[in-house]
Order: sequence, then C-alpha cells, then structure tokens
Amino acid sequence: MSTQAVFSAALLDTGLPCPDGLCSVNGADPASRFAVYRNNVQRSLSNALVDSYPVVMQLVGEEFFRAMAGVFIQNHPPRSPLMSDYGSDLADFISGFEPASSVPYLADVARLERLRTQAYHAADIAPLSQERIAAAFADQEGLSRLQIGLHPSLHVLDSAFAVVDIWAAHQHDATLAGINLDQAQHALVLRNGLEVEVFAVDPGASQFIGQLKAGLSLTEALESAEAFDLSQTLALLISRQAITHLHHKVSP
Amino acid sequence: MTATTRTLSATALVLALGSALSMVGVSTAQAADNSNMEKCFGVAMKGHNDCAAGAGTTCAGTAKMDYQANSWKFVPKGTCTTTESKTSPTGFGQLEAFKAKS
Amino acid sequence: MITSCDHASPRTRAALCGLPPRAGLGLKTGHFREVLGSLPDIGFFEVHAENYMVAGGPFHHFLGLIREAYPLSLHGVGLSIGAEGPLDVQHLKRLSTLIERYQPQSFSEHLAWSSHGPVFLNDLLPLAYDTPTLDRVCEHIDQVQNTLQRPMLLENPATYLAFERSTIDEAEFIREVIRRSGCGLLLDVNNIYVSCINHQRDPLTYLDALPLHAVGEIHLAGFAEDADSLGVRLLIDDHGAPVDQAVWSLYRQALERIGPVATLIERDNQVPAFNVLMAEAQQADELLRCAGGRP
Repeated sequence: MSTQAVFSAALLDTGLPCPDGLCSVNGADPASRFAVYRNNVQRSLSNALVDSYPVVMQLVGEEFFRAMAGVFIQNHPPRSPLMSDYGSDLADFISGFEPASSVPYLADVARLERLRTQAYHAADIAPLSQERIAAAFADQEGLSRLQIGLHPSLHVLDSAFAVVDIWAAHQHDATLAGINLDQAQHALVLRNGLEVEVFAVDPGASQFIGQLKAGLSLTEALESAEAFDLSQTLALLISRQAITHLHHKVSP
Repeated sequence: MTATTRTLSATALVLALGSALSMVGVSTAQAADNSNMEKCFGVAMKGHNDCAAGAGTTCAGTAKMDYQANSWKFVPKGTCTTTESKTSPTGFGQLEAFKAKS
Repeated sequence: MITSCDHASPRTRAALCGLPPRAGLGLKTGHFREVLGSLPDIGFFEVHAENYMVAGGPFHHFLGLIREAYPLSLHGVGLSIGAEGPLDVQHLKRLSTLIERYQPQSFSEHLAWSSHGPVFLNDLLPLAYDTPTLDRVCEHIDQVQNTLQRPMLLENPATYLAFERSTIDEAEFIREVIRRSGCGLLLDVNNIYVSCINHQRDPLTYLDALPLHAVGEIHLAGFAEDADSLGVRLLIDDHGAPVDQAVWSLYRQALERIGPVATLIERDNQVPAFNVLMAEAQQADELLRCAGGRP
C-alpha cells in the first residue's frame, strides 16, 4: 500500500496502529502526533454532522450523537470535498442502527433536516407572478392539460411520526411534551426567497404535490391523490412563491 | 374551503382555482397560518468546509467505536426523554442530568 | 506589473492586480447581514471555495452582493494538490465555474493532501518531501493553473509530524515548487510559527529560506496548545483564538522583508462578534501602514 493509503486508512479506522515511517524531531512517539490528524478528521466530520443535524443531536444528546457519528464516519467516509453534502445517507444509517431503535422517529427527523439543507442550497429559479398564474387558471380549455412546475427546493416527506411537530418543537422550547409522536405527518419543505420553510400538509396534498413534481398534469395529480383541500394547497404554493413554471402537456 | 376530491368536475376545478387565487390575494400570511408553518428567520446556515475544521488534540476520541462488539455503552438521552408532561419530574430530571454533564 | 494591471481587460484585471495591501477577513455566514448593513472599512474578504459550490440560495445571494463592494480571495480547502492520485477533474471544473462567476482577485490552495482515492478526509494532511512528491505537486499545480487560466497561490502548511523518507527541507521544497510552477506563495505566518515550534526549527531562519519575492497574500491566525508523548509543547493550527503575540511579532519581521501585502485574519472556530475580528484586522492594517502601505 502507498504511504497515503496507509495514512488514510489509519485516520478513519481508529483501531489501526499509527503508520510506519513517521517521526518527530524530538523523538516523541509519532503516534501521539499522528493522533492530532486522526482527531482532526474524526472531529471535523463529526462536527459537519452536528451542524447538519442539530435536531437529531438534541433528540439523542451530544454524547450519543457523536458516538453514533463515529460509527457512521468509519463506514461512510465522505466521497466528495463538499461537506454540505456529507451525511446525506445518515437517515438510512440511523434506520438500521440498533442503539437508536428506542427513538423510532429519529431517521425521519434526519430526513427532514437533510431536505432543509438541500432546500437552502437549491438552485435559484424566479417564481411566476400571480398575474401569470391567474391567467393560466382562467384558461378553462387548457386546464385539463395544465402542468405546474415547482421550485427545485421543494420536497415532501411522508412520515408515520409527527415529524414536523417534533422538528418545530426544537426551534422553540426543545421538549416533546404534549406531542403525539405517533401521529403521521406529511412535511412540505421549500425555500421562499432566502428562508427555508417547513409545513405540515394533509396526506392528499402531499400525494398531489409529489405527483406534480413527478411531472403529472394538474388533473392527473388530482385524480391520483386522496381527498384534500385543493384551494388551500394551491394558495400555499402560490403565496410561498413555489410555482415556477406553467405549461400545457402535449397529449401523447 | 371544503375538501376537493378526485371526482372534481371541471366547474368545481375552476372554482377551486379561483378560490386559491383569492386566498392568496386576500392575505398571504393567512394561508401560511392555516398550514402549520415553521421556519427560522434570519438564521444563516454555516459553511461546512473550513480551513482548520477539526481542532484535534493528541488525546481525545481515539477509542475504537464498535457497537457490534458489546462495547456500545451509550443510550439516547437528549430531548427524546421529554415526552412526559411538563408536570412530570422524571422526564426533565433526566434532561437536566444530561445537560450538567455535557 | 502595475501597467499591465491598468491595461488589462476587466476580466483579467482582478487576477493580475491581486488583492490590495490591506487587512482582510474571512467571511462568515453569520456576518453576512452585518457586513452588508454596515459596509465596514476592510481591504477584502476571503471565502472557502467549497462552501460556495452549491446551486443557489443565500450563500450566493450574499456573496454576490458583498463581492460588488469588496475585493475577494477564493481559498480552496478540498483540491488535494499533494495527493498521490490524479486531481479531481470535477472539482477543478467546479472551481473554474466559481472563479468565472466571482472573478476573485486571488485563488489559493494548500501544500497538503486531503483526498485518497474517492475518500475525502476533510483535513490538510502532511507530505513526505522528496523528488517524486515534488514532481507530482508541480504537475498538479500546472494542471490547476492551466485549467483556471490564472496563477494560484500555494500556502505553506502547519504540520505535526515528519516522514522518515523526506529528503528535502520544507522551505527548499516550497522554493522549488514556486520556481518550477510559477505559482505564488500564500505566506501563512501562523503555520510557520506552529510548524517551527512543533519541529524545533527557528521561525526566522525558516521565513528567510522561503521565496519571499513570490508572496501574494499573508494569513494570520490563532493556535491551540497541546503536548506530545514527551510532554513537549505541540501547537495546533485550530484558527480558534486571536492571533498570538509571537505570530504578530513574526508578521512584523515578514513585513520588514517583503513590504505591505494583503493580510487575512483567519478565524474558523469559536468565531467571535464581527467587531472583534475587525479590531484584529485594524491591528494588521496598522502594521501594514507602518510597512509603507496606504498613508
């Protein structure tokens, strides 16, 4: 193995010995100096996860979170120099991480926090003006083929837990008291201007928005979703500047 | 607004769209208030890449982490222990103990 | 240099003229609004390139506005110039796009490695100084400068250990890289001090051995103190404290040798209020004035 291969492996796997061929001018054990690099790597990656998943950390406490991060880092080191992407797969890891199984909603909270980071950095696309939207909505002939394009920051998350309430509680008092944790919730995450916003929407609204994102037309998306309040959902999307395109689907 | 279903007629659809626009027109804030919205105002996310990100030392954190090998000794003890009602002494007692340690 | 600078097209002027010989600050996201609201009297801002390799959103919004008001230094922390393997071409493309967008006065990277194969280690790791490493580092810098179509600055490292197989002294290694590649030097005075304490070298002798004619920017920062297995003082470049007195004094000696050069106050951990950083920048500005900068 090359020098950097050995060095790199020993940085990530804290069970490996300090690599050979290292020295210090004063004759100190090179391992005590190698430890600085190892701790830089472990700590900086752990810090990146702490920064990306603040609510997950509050839920389980810093000690547990950092210990879990240590296992994650060893098994999922970064594959890109862009640290804002690091830990995209933490939620899936948490799902299979037995010591966290006593907090069954933890993975979905991680998913919500990841969607917020993605929304924060998503591409900038100008929303359509309300006049343009009003004109398209008034065109009765075109309605059956109308496709609604949504902002790239927008995503929905369907959870069997009260994921929005749990997350929101940590923006204020950081207590779960009074929350029915097993109440399924559907999160809508989007960036409105410079602010990332999180909404709880009805199951039908979540299905409808998901289908619009998948490219279905307004009427197709309506047909495939269970009952929900269409007016309120569209009003929400318009007022949060989430509608960026309107076009008419060409019939096959 | 009443619920809209998949059996919506063309006329009902036009009405629903018009109603959506009028809701936006009347008050953008109201639509948000009706929808359980949460956001954090003015909080900029941190840049994740740093020049001296880790701030390592010669001693901390070098223990091998292997949760398969019966060496896992951590239990979640953050706010997930606060599901008790506010009057319950136990839930908050645990949280305080954790905060004092960290 | 000054005439070529004046006659250059706007596109290349930024790169040719470089940063002004004043103090600058690392731009922290928590200070975006304060900077735009108060437009402080500061020579330039520096950002870590990788933080702005995102599609859109607030980071680009604020950096775009701040760039309109200030010179900019783009400082890379992820290119892994010292890696044994080839450079990440995708990453170079991202850098190129960012430089095209913001036209920074300076682009700099580190004499270090941070990736091995597909794995990114998120730290600036030390190199064995020998001929194969020298050849590789020079090739990589050539590739960077050819791709970006502009010269880059290379930062001297802070290190905690050495390699038995090193055959070249660090300052000599840097001198040779700069001679062969034509890149400039980002003189990190804190790194000099940290490395010299850690390797029992004399900071002034080390400073004098560097190619000081090529300095395009200076970095100042704070360090943390630890001890190795012998209980000997080991300094850690953590950018988590104010600039140390010993580093200020070494900085003064550096300015005596090279004259006023753009100087960054780096702070990445325990970031204080903006006015605390401004006070440190003003201290650097004072020394730059004494060294013959702006009146």
